[in-house]
Amino acid sequence: MQTENGSESPALQMKMLLEALPKESATDPTGIRLARLINRISRQKVPVSSFSRFWILGSLQAKVTLGYFAYWLRSRFVDADEKGRLKSEAHLAAALQLFGTMGYLRGAVMKVGQLLANLPEVVPEEFAEVLSALHFEAPPMHYALVREVFLDEFGREPEEVFASFDRQAFAAASLGQVHRARLHSGEEVAVKIQYPGIARTIKADLRNLRVLLQPLCLTRDWQNTLDKLADLEQMLLMETDYEQEARFGKDARLFFTVDDRVVVPRVYDDYSTKRVLTTEYLRGCHLDEFLAGNPSQKERDQFTTLLIVATFRLYYRLHWFLADPHPGNFIFMEDGRLGMIDFGCTRVMTDEEWLLISELERATLERDEASFKRVTAKACLFNDPEEMEPERLEILLRGVHWNMEPWLKDGLFDFGDREFFMRGIDSLMEMTRKRYTRGSPLYLWSNRFIFGGRAICYRMKGRCEVKNISTRESAWHDADYV
Amino acid sequence: MRISEQAKLDSRARILEKAAELFIGKGFEDTTTRDIALAAGLAAGTMFNYFPSKETLAMTMVTEALGQGMEDFRRRRTGEEELTEELFLFIASGLRRLRQLRPFLGPVLERSLSPFPRKSVCHEGEAARLGHLAVVQEIIGRHGFTAAPDYVAMTIYWSLYLGILAFWTNDESPNQEESRGLIDYSLRCFVQVISGTIAERGAAHAN
Ligand SMILES: Nc1ncnc2c1ncn2[C@@H]1O[C@H](COP(=O)(O)OP(=O)(O)OP(=O)(O)O)[C@@H](O)[C@H]1O
Repeated sequence: MQTENGSESPALQMKMLLEALPKESATDPTGIRLARLINRISRQKVPVSSFSRFWILGSLQAKVTLGYFAYWLRSRFVDADEKGRLKSEAHLAAALQLFGTMGYLRGAVMKVGQLLANLPEVVPEEFAEVLSALHFEAPPMHYALVREVFLDEFGREPEEVFASFDRQAFAAASLGQVHRARLHSGEEVAVKIQYPGIARTIKADLRNLRVLLQPLCLTRDWQNTLDKLADLEQMLLMETDYEQEARFGKDARLFFTVDDRVVVPRVYDDYSTKRVLTTEYLRGCHLDEFLAGNPSQKERDQFTTLLIVATFRLYYRLHWFLADPHPGNFIFMEDGRLGMIDFGCTRVMTDEEWLLISELERATLERDEASFKRVTAKACLFNDPEEMEPERLEILLRGVHWNMEPWLKDGLFDFGDREFFMRGIDSLMEMTRKRYTRGSPLYLWSNRFIFGGRAICYRMKGRCEVKNISTRESAWHDADYV
Repeated sequence: MRISEQAKLDSRARILEKAAELFIGKGFEDTTTRDIALAAGLAAGTMFNYFPSKETLAMTMVTEALGQGMEDFRRRRTGEEELTEELFLFIASGLRRLRQLRPFLGPVLERSLSPFPRKSVCHEGEAARLGHLAVVQEIIGRHGFTAAPDYVAMTIYWSLYLGILAFWTNDESPNQEESRGLIDYSLRCFVQVISGTIAERGAAHAN
């Protein structure tokens, strides 16, 4: 997928859009209507706000992202009659436009992309590629702005706080940017700085988005969708709280030893605030670069193992979902260790949720189908499997079985298996198409966790002994951990 | 008995200090010159020798703060800033010094920096305006323009700046962070106006 900003000719763009966008088999088998809608919206002018200058609705990825969002929204009103549909489409266009201006965060595009990956519960393969192409290099805060943030947060200039500080950001974060610096004591650090006012912008935007989406409420699961939006808002806002992220990072760090070969960077409290987060700089590269170096199967397997161990450990011991396992959050270090850097989007399960999810695992391992069904129904907010339409139950069971499949396989599990990965995607697609997406908001997080993680492992074409790892990691209560 | 220069300076400083306390405590409108004289331990008549009006008093504080801001700006400037960034640094440095006066700044600026022609010009206000614009010209001059911007451009700048001040004075967000976006955006608009180019849509923020 290209990263140019809409320099292609209109005809070519249309062709590429048609290829990349999803097709609705019943109402829009060629995808042409969707492509036209997206094209039309992207040609309309949007008043550019101070945060959204980076979002270019004209670019192909932006259009594709928008397209998936539209696809998801539309799947909500396919049953409406023609008149209702046109009316909805007007609202849809308005919502999409607003959505376009929500690119205050170049990273928000990524965030939005991930958000899409959850909302539509559709992650086709091309989309995974589009998402990974969404890199925006230009750091959006100039140094004078960064300095003002520092004066507010520390009462001192960056160059006074640190022994040295790079004026240019080296990486984009979703809600800010990351600079390299060195402490007076000599340590190399990464300093993440948040855009001023971003939290309020998110709140205002999501409020508006909800208002615009309101008239589309044509299905019985709509309230559930709104609940999910609320949960997403919470998720985005969580990422604005760097103090919270620092706490998660510090907690996580305690659970890994040198032998684990998983590194959670040290947090430097004296250099961190709600809007600035300073952590130990980890030297290494991200997934794309790792793959570009043509790693051997052994290396792929090693990193896959580390990734699964790392996420399972936090899952079993702290009952966390790392709801944001996208490639940018893992660093492939030169010495073969895996760095795990972003805890901004950590969802801690409640005891009740944990019991339910443990029961699901038990039912899976013991092949207790009755119990498996009961838990699945409960997770979808039904009291009993009997209450569910048989088709809904069947599709959902298929999805949950897919989630649990790696737990059942002795020996190496191959995440690079295309058949396996696509089966998961298909089942999600089907769930979306049939609009069986009602579920506890926890689902949103666990889906991100599972799909995000598996998409990385799939791209890595890595294998590991999932069952063994889970047995080992879940057995920790028996040991003397506190 | 002749009052020494030092004593004069002390009185002046004391008046400014007490006035600031009262403005912050009671509000600008509800503070009278009598209150200020009383607090400073001076006769009302004596105080008028220093400051002919409440407005002058307040604007003197503003001018002094902005003067310090200007010094901060010159000290902080690295010479590597782009035009927008340098203007940003200038405005931000000024606002940082104004911050302590913020609680009573609204009515003061409204009177002294009003864009509408007034019967009695506020000299402090006018001086502040000219001083500020001179620095803006100086900054622009450093960024490759062969001639100074004309009155239209400078009027646009001043309107934007007053708008920023008005917004910032009422900005309830922590550290007035919402104003940051406005400042940055206003300055980009201005730079676009004087550069005569429509910035590329979605062009990098940094440059
Ligand atoms: N300690 C670190 N060492 C090395 N690189 C880092 C470190 N922290 C952050 N980075 C770089 O900055 C990027 C963004 O950081 P981070 O993931 O923490 O931001 P974020 O706001 O949570 O973004 P996102 O939500 O998109 O992951 C990372 O992908 C990485 O390239």
